[in-house]
Amino acid sequence: MKRRLITYMALPVVWCLVSGYVTIGSLFLGLIFGMIVVEPFSKLYRLDEVVHPTGDWLAKIPKKIKYFYVLIKEIIKANIVVAKIVLSPTINIKPGIIAVPIRAKTNIGITGIANTITLTPGTLTVDISDDQSILYVHSIDATNPQGIRDSIRDDLEKYVLEAFE
Amino acid sequence: MAGELALVADILSIISLIIGIFFLSLGMIGLLRLPDVYNRLHATTKVGTLGAFGVLLSIILQEGATPMGIKALTVALFILLTSPISGHMIARAAYRMGVKCCEGTCMDEYAGKRRK
Repeated sequence: MKRRLITYMALPVVWCLVSGYVTIGSLFLGLIFGMIVVEPFSKLYRLDEVVHPTGDWLAKIPKKIKYFYVLIKEIIKANIVVAKIVLSPTINIKPGIIAVPIRAKTNIGITGIANTITLTPGTLTVDISDDQSILYVHSIDATNPQGIRDSIRDDLEKYVLEAFE
Repeated sequence: MAGELALVADILSIISLIIGIFFLSLGMIGLLRLPDVYNRLHATTKVGTLGAFGVLLSIILQEGATPMGIKALTVALFILLTSPISGHMIARAAYRMGVKCCEGTCMDEYAGKRRK
């Protein structure tokens, strides 16, 4: 399947969501505008490249829903952690940058785990190593680096790997 | 019956608006109180996400499946995707510019491993 077909299926949906009117006419308009915008840049977006969508994309939808449930839970936890730090009378934190080895191999898996780390309590992704195997994570409480590595591997990376790889 | 449902939606919408504004103001206080750029990013990326979600959820509850509600849902999705990426880019750019970590930073395993 060429990338062009996937792009032309996705862009009308995005147009409908952004314009707010989910109708057949709006989908059609989105398709036309998508063509006008994307076609001059077909080399840049590599539209003629043949991609092979993995067959288990649909089968992983329950895992993706589980991942979003975990993500929302962690975002709320992260906000409570930050609220406690901000509202305490004296700010007493021990921040630090920690190297966290990751198991994700594909680009989408690495992006997913990096963004999840940023949205979860007390951690913020700074950079990735050259061989894409280590994430450098800034933590607001770096007194126990091994504990942070373990919690990222067991609590977050598991769900990302199940949902996106 | 319809009037009661609208009342419940109104109350839920006001509650989520208050939660959203509460967390957004916390994020701003954190931006002022925390010591260096990396710690300030903790406050703005995480708290900004939930604060914006609260305000947008309030709009969705008020408007329902109207164009305005669908736009609010779309904005929430885009914030979920872009907020961590912008936080990550600011942190990386700051580190490459040579911004020092604040006093009390207990470890830096990234030092010396910066890519050329």
